[in-house]
Amino acid sequence: MTQSPPLSEPTRAVRKVHKPSLGDRLAEQIPRLVVSPTMLIAVVFIYGFMIWTVVLSFSTSRILPRYEFIGWQNYQRLFGNERWMVALTNLGIYGVLFVVICLAIGLLLAILLDQKIRAEGFLRTVYLYPMALSFIVTGTVWKWLLNPSVGIQRFGRELGFENFRFDWLVSSDMSIYTVVIAAVWQSSGFVMALFLAGLRGVDDSIIKAAQIDGASRITVYTRIIIPSLRPVFFSAIIMLAHIAIKSFDLALALTGGGPGYSSDLPAIFMYQFSFTRGQMGVGAASAVIMLMGVMAILIPYLYSELRVKKDDR
Amino acid sequence: MTVKHSNRRYSEITGRAVLYAILIIVAIYYLIPLVIMISTSFRDMNDIRFGHLIDLPSSFSFEAWRMAWSEVQIGARRQLGLRPYFINSLLITIPAVTISVILGAVNGYVLSFWRFKGSNIFFALLLFGCFLPFQAILLPQATVLGKIGLSGTIPGLVLTHVVYGVAFTTLFYRNYYVSLPGELVKAAQLDGAGFWRIFWRIILPLSTPITVVAVIWQFTQIWNDFLFGVAFSSPQSQPVTVGLNNMVNSSTGEVRYNVDMAGAIIAALPTLAVYVIAGKYFVRGLTAGSVKG
Amino acid sequence: MANLYIDNVHKSFGETHILKGIDMDIADGEFIILVGPSGCGKSTLMNCIAGLEQVTTGRVIIDDEDVTQSMPKDRDIAMVFQSYALYPNMNVWKNIAFGLEIRKLPKEEIEETVGRVADLLQIRDLLKRKPSQLSGGQRQRVAMGRALARDPKIFLFDEPLSNLDAKLRVEMRTEIKKLHQRLGTTIVYVTHDQIEAMTLANRIAVMKEGHIQQFGTPQEVYDNPANQFVAGFMGSPSMNFIRCQVVDHQGDATIAMSVDGKDFHLPIPQQEKGVRERVGQEVVLGIRPEQITDVVPQQEQASTLANVDAEIIVTEPTGADTLTLIRMNDQEVNCRVHPARAGAPGDTMTFMINMDKAVFFDLASGDRI
Ligand SMILES: Nc1ncnc2c1ncn2[C@@H]1O[C@H](COP(=O)(O)OP(=O)(O)OP(=O)(O)O)[C@@H](O)[C@H]1O
Ligand SMILES: [Mg+2]
Repeated sequence: MTQSPPLSEPTRAVRKVHKPSLGDRLAEQIPRLVVSPTMLIAVVFIYGFMIWTVVLSFSTSRILPRYEFIGWQNYQRLFGNERWMVALTNLGIYGVLFVVICLAIGLLLAILLDQKIRAEGFLRTVYLYPMALSFIVTGTVWKWLLNPSVGIQRFGRELGFENFRFDWLVSSDMSIYTVVIAAVWQSSGFVMALFLAGLRGVDDSIIKAAQIDGASRITVYTRIIIPSLRPVFFSAIIMLAHIAIKSFDLALALTGGGPGYSSDLPAIFMYQFSFTRGQMGVGAASAVIMLMGVMAILIPYLYSELRVKKDDR
Repeated sequence: MTVKHSNRRYSEITGRAVLYAILIIVAIYYLIPLVIMISTSFRDMNDIRFGHLIDLPSSFSFEAWRMAWSEVQIGARRQLGLRPYFINSLLITIPAVTISVILGAVNGYVLSFWRFKGSNIFFALLLFGCFLPFQAILLPQATVLGKIGLSGTIPGLVLTHVVYGVAFTTLFYRNYYVSLPGELVKAAQLDGAGFWRIFWRIILPLSTPITVVAVIWQFTQIWNDFLFGVAFSSPQSQPVTVGLNNMVNSSTGEVRYNVDMAGAIIAALPTLAVYVIAGKYFVRGLTAGSVKG
Repeated sequence: MANLYIDNVHKSFGETHILKGIDMDIADGEFIILVGPSGCGKSTLMNCIAGLEQVTTGRVIIDDEDVTQSMPKDRDIAMVFQSYALYPNMNVWKNIAFGLEIRKLPKEEIEETVGRVADLLQIRDLLKRKPSQLSGGQRQRVAMGRALARDPKIFLFDEPLSNLDAKLRVEMRTEIKKLHQRLGTTIVYVTHDQIEAMTLANRIAVMKEGHIQQFGTPQEVYDNPANQFVAGFMGSPSMNFIRCQVVDHQGDATIAMSVDGKDFHLPIPQQEKGVRERVGQEVVLGIRPEQITDVVPQQEQASTLANVDAEIIVTEPTGADTLTLIRMNDQEVNCRVHPARAGAPGDTMTFMINMDKAVFFDLASGDRI
């Protein structure tokens, strides 16, 4: 490497070394200081409390927390409890139906809306507005609509179908399905919005190329567009599953978990055992199981998301 | 040739017709509960009892609305109607939204432009907060609120909503800010501006769209919350969702559906209004909060 | 006004090392051009000088003061960013005035400075507009304006003219040169434009993969490249590299060459002693296109000249010259020929090779011999 002499001989003698002043050093800490409250929140209120709940689930706590540990007894009690098993089964039925139906309706509506529909903006607004409502409001409305003596069943009979029956709300076997109906009504528009955004993101030229290759419109959808929506399916499933596991207010407002405990869900079970029945230990154990459920869905998702992001770089 | 052509046109037209028919029927399905809710709230009980579910109301009155708002006895509460609950909801929602959005904005600003060692890990940890099933923190939070004397109070609920909302607002702002060029902050640094001045003068003026999203999201979430409202409140601090649920479930004697429906609309009105006014941002928040989560 | 001494600066982002020991000794008032392939770390080096990125190890010394630990605002540096980084919420006037306002200059002085800079950069009509209402070239000039409004110790320009049209670019280039002559401020300037580099620089630093390959005056870098990379990087069209053998021919070390099946020998200039000692070895001959021309009679006698007949493969007229592609030692070679004397593809034509400025590189390492 050659280095020709600069115009004037540089002086390498350093006159002064700038040490960061106190003010500078403080200024450097500002970013950390600014996020520290949130950091505290994350550490204490999210992770600390999660661990705390786990601790409670191994304790003898009833109305008040007590820190005598009894191993897995709360979990044994939990899984020995028929009501909890019903709640879990219900969550299975409700979760699967809710996710599948929402996906189906959401995708169908998105595809239909993507056909250059005239009043698209208006229709989209209509499909999505339930998402702005509280689950309590949704529950209240559907509770009334599904009530056999005043709602849809009566309406059907008044129309002349004397034997029309739609009494799922008060039937132990069917009540969980009413929760599905109301939940789908509330959330499917949201899935539609997700899919619609995904459809709009599909490269137009691919579709045109396929059409030039002679693919019919249905083929274009089933073979090209829908497969390219995989990531949307993925995040929609995550969101919906997450909503399902947390579901509490809707079932409470709609069926109150009843008749009996036939439409109970883990979230209701957890709340009632912890807060109204003074069985904090068992309640905590059920919360831990719910947390595990969310993690089981979330961790693979986050893992794949983070891996994709790393690949991007 | 011409026959074939017109056949094709014909099938295309029927196709469009079927398409529109499906879309409109579905739209009706989504709308019916709202329509029934509104029409019922204006009917009187006789009309409801003897009329049809879907029918032109034979009566029209604001009676049910008045009842729901300020007259119906809810539980054992001294004050009547949903009004006190509604006010509680406002008192909870406004400060909680304000604080969590401000926190989210500065967090996002730091996590995008002032990264430090460990800031990415911090963000990843915080992200999980968006998916946290609140049941997993319900018991400790109740204990802590009790310990610090905020149990059953409005400040306690505000604190809770801030704590569990800040993950979302941070996520919103961070994802928005990382799409801004980092050189903006560098240029401002060379211009001599410091941390806060850059935030105020450069970054915040660019944040209007995401602030609308974050405010709407937080407002909807907190207004519609039921779990925290029922778990951490006393009768004096219950939000309107709890009030509505109590009203619907506790009314003794005859169930007054018109009052229930009026109450439901009252509880839903603020978020519905936001949705109608700023639907675009509402949808953006939903998708941003989920797809990028 | 300040000198700038970059002492063994390393910079890594996590695991990736971007700058791998940069040493530069820049005198007060020098105009330094930084060139190098995309991604070699030029912008990173600029950021390190400005303090926008902390160096991993090493020192940055400005005006004989070690500022490695200083905040960007205390280094008194103005910079034009490659991506402009205009504040989108402020109009052009505000963009230029922002730094002055923060430094609490009096209002009249700000007014005056912004006006002066706007005239210099021909953006007076744009002062009321927002950056989003400007074209790429206009934005770039505003970015320049924001830097020029200040009176810093050092200017850092990261490709400041890359988006301008050809005419404006020449104009701005001249303005920058005049400005530098008037102010005498030290400037470090990144560009991909060869002409900008040659015309503006006091010295050019050629970078590759986080190392400075050569740091010298434009003429030095052009005539006397330190290695094959620098030789190939500077100059457009770039230098021809021909693999060939040093052989003994009638008692003198020469280069063996074959063109279209005919063998002949090229003289090695006397000063290239290293090459003369490598008889029997393969080397890389570096020769610029302008050293292979049509025959110019009055120069024909010089000892470093050789004439060859070669078949023309392709011609590319550039206006002033015609670039002509031939094959030597089965490798493509660009020649620069007077347009009037250039043949057509397929023709055979006599070329005159001037070996006076030929350079030689080691086959394996690419270093100058
Ligand atoms: N903040 C960062 N984190 C990680 N890597 C970075 C960062 N900034 C730059 N790099 C990497 O450092 C390398 C050098 O980048 P730099 O911007 O300095 O290149 P450059 O020489 O200016 O290129 P160009 O001519 O394209 O502007 C690139 O490979 C880039 O990906
Ligand atoms: Mg660069």
